[in-house]
Amino acid sequence: MELADRAVGFLLSFISISIFTYYTFWVIILPFVDSDHFIHKYFLPQDYAILIPVFAGVTLLCFLCTFVGFVMLKSKQKAK
Amino acid sequence: MKHIFKIMALLVAIAALWIGLLQTSMIPQSYALLLPIYSVVTLGCYGLLMVGVGLMQFPTCPQEALLLQQDIVEAKEFLQRKGVDVGSG
Repeated sequence: MELADRAVGFLLSFISISIFTYYTFWVIILPFVDSDHFIHKYFLPQDYAILIPVFAGVTLLCFLCTFVGFVMLKSKQKAK
Repeated sequence: MKHIFKIMALLVAIAALWIGLLQTSMIPQSYALLLPIYSVVTLGCYGLLMVGVGLMQFPTCPQEALLLQQDIVEAKEFLQRKGVDVGSG
């Protein structure tokens, strides 16, 4: 059982580190590189660097509000 | 209420720092503008990393698990003798 826990923990850490490295590279290092370097092929245009986190944050907020509203409605129905 | 004021004060301080950084132009403008989003993403990543590392290092203590199962069986027998409805699961 602890092997499954270790695997999940390792997967989480790996995902977080890869996201951090990719994002750091994207935002900080890429503007210094010349525009015709091959590395630009692996990264989306810079505008997406802002859009994707904002979109994810807004989706999370909507999900949280929906969940809270759902729970409140359910508790009200039960109280009746 | 006081807690909300503390949080708002912290947010205002961070915003003031960011606007100050934008004005002095020690860093190029485009970087300073992206700084808040970058900080939020880094914070999220750090939280995920801590959760992952904690999961990997969590100790399981197999002997304690065995002892716990024995305790549970004992308690169930005792309660059944006394007439309490135990019910599995």
